[in-house]
Amino acid sequence: MSAYGARAMRKFGQWVRPAYFILIPLSLIGLLPFVWMILGAFKTGAEIRQIPPTFFPHHFTWENFRTVLQDPDLPLLLFYRNSAIIAVSNVVQVLFTSSLLGYIFAKFDFKGKGPLFWIIMATMMIPSQLTMIPGYLILAKLGLINHLLALIIGAAIDPFGIFLFRQFAHSIPNDLLDAARVDGAGEFQNYWRIALPQMKPALATFGLLTFMFNWNAYLWPLIVLTEQRVRTLPIILTWYSTRMGNKYHLTMAAAILVVMPVLLLFLLVQRWIVKGITMTGLK
Amino acid sequence: MRWLRRKQARRGGLDAARQRFVWNTLGPAMLYMAFWTLFPLLWGLALAFFQYSARRAGGPFLGLGGDNPFVGLAHFRAMLDFSADAPLHVRTFHIGVKVTLLFAALVVPLNLLVTLPLAVLIESVHRRMRPIFRTIFFLPVLAPSVGVAIMWGYIYHPQRGLLNAILGRLLGHPVVLNWLGDPRLKVWGIPVALFAVIIAYLWQDMGYNLVIFIAALQSIPESIKDAARIDGANAWQMFTRVTLPLLMPTIQLTAILTMISAFQVFDLVQVMTDGGPKYQTQVLLLHIYNYAFRYQRMGWAAAVSVVLFLMVLSLSLVQSRFLRARWEY
Repeated sequence: MSAYGARAMRKFGQWVRPAYFILIPLSLIGLLPFVWMILGAFKTGAEIRQIPPTFFPHHFTWENFRTVLQDPDLPLLLFYRNSAIIAVSNVVQVLFTSSLLGYIFAKFDFKGKGPLFWIIMATMMIPSQLTMIPGYLILAKLGLINHLLALIIGAAIDPFGIFLFRQFAHSIPNDLLDAARVDGAGEFQNYWRIALPQMKPALATFGLLTFMFNWNAYLWPLIVLTEQRVRTLPIILTWYSTRMGNKYHLTMAAAILVVMPVLLLFLLVQRWIVKGITMTGLK
Repeated sequence: MRWLRRKQARRGGLDAARQRFVWNTLGPAMLYMAFWTLFPLLWGLALAFFQYSARRAGGPFLGLGGDNPFVGLAHFRAMLDFSADAPLHVRTFHIGVKVTLLFAALVVPLNLLVTLPLAVLIESVHRRMRPIFRTIFFLPVLAPSVGVAIMWGYIYHPQRGLLNAILGRLLGHPVVLNWLGDPRLKVWGIPVALFAVIIAYLWQDMGYNLVIFIAALQSIPESIKDAARIDGANAWQMFTRVTLPLLMPTIQLTAILTMISAFQVFDLVQVMTDGGPKYQTQVLLLHIYNYAFRYQRMGWAAAVSVVLFLMVLSLSLVQSRFLRARWEY
């Protein structure tokens, strides 16, 4: 290779590698479901019924989106609001408890610290399907079925978050905290003014993961929210798709309206989500 | 003033404030977790020994007893009834165990077989191109699984779907296979509907492991790779002798995590097939959901969730031991 000018070849080789011949077709296949959804949403009802189906829409139309948005049984804004209330509340409370408890386990000495931490970590092993039925029964006793609060009230503590923030809080310098103490700051003030700002990266990463998890959740909302007006976006999407049956042009338009806005948002902050996943191995 | 505070600090005045802070925070947190985690856990375990429905009033304590009678190990004994005339819930439970095991047994290796080489491929291209490919394969992770299920349902649709259209074009005659609804379609004895769900599941789930593997690959020191290159290792040898052994702990972790989440699959199955055709895709969590919340047989459902929990626990123990043994050799 050196005979042909190794430098030029190396530069060329950096850009054009055999890997691309596998990666590019695979990427196209990977994107195909999204493409098929988007194309379907722009076809007319008549074209959707055509056999065999067309790939690109022959008569490109925005009509489907208008139909979905004007459907009186599908007030999308209401469902956006429901999803947002649940996701934002849970992000706020989980970030608060995780950072506070993580900070305490990292920076304070007290009796029974080791066993207590171990117990909290052990609760991560309890699978949700074991607590699902009693969880429903508790909420029913409290009269919270079909209430947005049902998805918020029991979700204030995430043991995983405590673990994560404990790792993070270890790196806060003790001198910083002691200096504030000497200046007369209360312990909670210390956490709020000094520790919390130091944990900003963890707040962003874990906050995003929690938001995504809540926004996309399906099983638990399906169980506790059975009335139309309190439903969240994922549930309303399946309800709509079942009702529309074979009218895929409308279902796909609805799917785009439900999936795309947040997908684009997540895409913008993807870096932090990826960081969170690799940092934690979280599923 | 300041010297006084310092003196207090030395005497433990500040320490008392710290202890107060710790217990004022931890106390409520522990109570909260006891109520929302420990109590439901114990209640769930107890339910497995009762004939329970939320619709019946039952006894005074948690509605147990009375019209919701204690049945001891009856649910677990019923699970061992393998005869042909076993009740429907028992037979569908057996199918559920089989389908769940099959699902996980196919998903875990298929996932690793795709994501690991894909991560290596993505890492091998130019630095500026990597985020583009990573994003493309990571995108489905960000989408709600319900949306994914509906998109794939449209792909698999017998008349409207993309898959049959492509097959029809390739074969030159119309294809109307009902991928998700025809119980007669089987490959190697495995229902095609299950394969169809697995493919959608893999598509959505791969991004997780991909980014984990990419991060692990980036953490391999350049010096090790250089040393191998100087020793004349080719790309394949690099992969099998350097990358793979160094990645083994990560592979072990991701295999377990992938398996645990595969055991608890629900969203995709419920939306795409609802367990059909003829229970061929009815995974255990769907069985639990149906019996607890559709048929109001919560005692049975609780017993099945105990079994699912034990399956996840024992298999992750076995798997971690197996992988560790391989790794040490």
